[in-house]
Amino acid sequence: MQTLIGTLINGLALGMAYALIAVGYSMVFGVLRLINFSHGAVYAFGAYMVYFFVSLKFGLLPAILLSVVASGILALLIDKAALEPLRKKKSMPIATLITTIGMSFIIQNFLSIEYIFSSEKKPFPSLNLFESITIGNITIQSSQLIMLVVAILLLAVLTFIVNYTKIGLAMRATEQNSKAANLMGINVNFVISFTFFIGGASAAIAGSLIGGYYQVISPTMGSLIGLKAFSAAVVGGIGILYGSVIGGLIVGVAEVLAAQYLGSNVRDPMAFVILILILILKPTGLFGKKGISKV
Amino acid sequence: MKKIFAILLTLALLVGSAAFAEGTIKIAVAAPMTGDNAEYGIGFANAAKLMASEWNAKGGVTVDGQSYTVEIVEFDDKSDSDEAAIIAEKIVSDENIWGVIGHFASGICMVAAPTYQDAQYVDISPTASHADFSKIGDYIFRNNTVIVVETKTGAEMAVTDLGGQAIGVLSIDTEWGQSAGNAMEENIKALGGNFALRQEVSTDAVDFATEVANFKAAGCDVVMVAGMYGTLAPFAVACKNSGYDVKLVGCSNAYTANLINIAGEAAEGIYAPVSFFAGNTDERVQAYVKAYTEAYGAAPSALTTQAYDSVGILLGAIERAGFDREAIKNEMYKTEYEGMSGYTTFDENGDAQKIFTKIMVKDGAFQLAEF
Repeated sequence: MQTLIGTLINGLALGMAYALIAVGYSMVFGVLRLINFSHGAVYAFGAYMVYFFVSLKFGLLPAILLSVVASGILALLIDKAALEPLRKKKSMPIATLITTIGMSFIIQNFLSIEYIFSSEKKPFPSLNLFESITIGNITIQSSQLIMLVVAILLLAVLTFIVNYTKIGLAMRATEQNSKAANLMGINVNFVISFTFFIGGASAAIAGSLIGGYYQVISPTMGSLIGLKAFSAAVVGGIGILYGSVIGGLIVGVAEVLAAQYLGSNVRDPMAFVILILILILKPTGLFGKKGISKV
Repeated sequence: MKKIFAILLTLALLVGSAAFAEGTIKIAVAAPMTGDNAEYGIGFANAAKLMASEWNAKGGVTVDGQSYTVEIVEFDDKSDSDEAAIIAEKIVSDENIWGVIGHFASGICMVAAPTYQDAQYVDISPTASHADFSKIGDYIFRNNTVIVVETKTGAEMAVTDLGGQAIGVLSIDTEWGQSAGNAMEENIKALGGNFALRQEVSTDAVDFATEVANFKAAGCDVVMVAGMYGTLAPFAVACKNSGYDVKLVGCSNAYTANLINIAGEAAEGIYAPVSFFAGNTDERVQAYVKAYTEAYGAAPSALTTQAYDSVGILLGAIERAGFDREAIKNEMYKTEYEGMSGYTTFDENGDAQKIFTKIMVKDGAFQLAEF
């Protein structure tokens, strides 16, 4: 029984990590109807920025804040450099999707350059800021609790921005009909840039927290976890922010349970097994709205 | 004026090289000097040059009462099989090359080795660990042990020195990881230890929560890790963070500065068997580490040192045998070399037998193990 509880706690912690990344996927999709596969690479970039600023003797918190801004700007640049020209040419959605995959490789390889950060793993400052809590056999680390709190806060803030602010209103208007929104005096380009900035910033927050939990980062850290988080976002209903958090938790717990009871070989495929099951049983995801047509 | 100078220079070169050619023994170093594994290849070349300069300072290699200067010739195989095959042909077409140090990765070594075997060029790989490499022929040697030997010293630490009551094994899911993990299991059992649990993880796994929980539940007080520092370091961090008090025993590849960099405090008390330890207080080793550090700016690693010793072993065999390729090969099997990576002999396969030193991390640095 204690093992099961311990396993569940580990699964929830891992799920929170997925949720942190999934929220960013979901948010960009919710506004732009675009799956931004460069999100995982921006997440790695965010973690490396924290590493960089910490090595310059900034404190951990200022380093995270700087990294959030830097990653936001990176995401914005990705949009300006690669995606906006495609939008202007009215190219097919699949072209944009593939471009984001390409961008993720460019960022990943940039981080791996010998004189930048090199492809070797790097240490990351611990986020265990206070004592871990031990009940019987079960230990809950403070970094796990911090991930939980920040993921919920991030969810709340993003939900607030989208639903209750002026810019959020503009985002939703852009989502429904960008041409009409433009005619109503909404600066659609600004809205899209803003969305990307927020997406990149949330990736950096995820990178900082997950980096601090595992205390090790590598240029490819975002690729597998990014795909799993994407599955989590789809499981919860992509575009629905709270759905992606719940999707993340489901994927995390399922993965750890699978590793525990079925063996470590089934661990990594688990997220995708769930993804396929959900797509068969409820294509819109657990909390998804009907009528999502473009992917 | 310039022309005369140029002519003079050319003449001087010609005369110089002609004089040299008579008294020179060439040794080829074939390894990746660029690309992915360049760090190792450059280490090989550096070590070889250092060893050559030491021989040359003492008057070179003496054959039939005449001394010959040692010259190291570098070949870059770029970690590429095609490239290695071409290089091997190039090497065996040079009559003045009397032996080969290389290559780095087992797969590449095994592409080039048949060429050396056919041409009767002695080849010593300082690193190849694939069981079949030295079986390619009798001219093929490795100054490295197969994994079973290395893990035996590790298991000895786990079972005897640390007195593990229940010992776990964590391995990565590569061919090497699996065979190293199996070797660990066998060695633990052979030493009468209580092997408790085997867990396998993917090479780039960073989430070890499940494995830590399982080792904990199985009551393991010592865990042996068959993985590179990239697995060992985050695993140590995960153990520490979840309050799991366990002793970790790695492989010789754990002996890198990166392990301590990444794991930080969690690296304290990680044990590993190594064939060479730069902190060894032995005077000869210290002199070598000092000479290497002065020449190249960093302390030599265990693999670099195996390359250094390989050159010494080869030159020794040439000195004893003279310029006869078959005789050199026969002398190789009689090697008894007191090297920096330990006392070295070769068995009938051409595999080196090494004695491993037990080291541990203490106060943020590697030192000889204390139990």
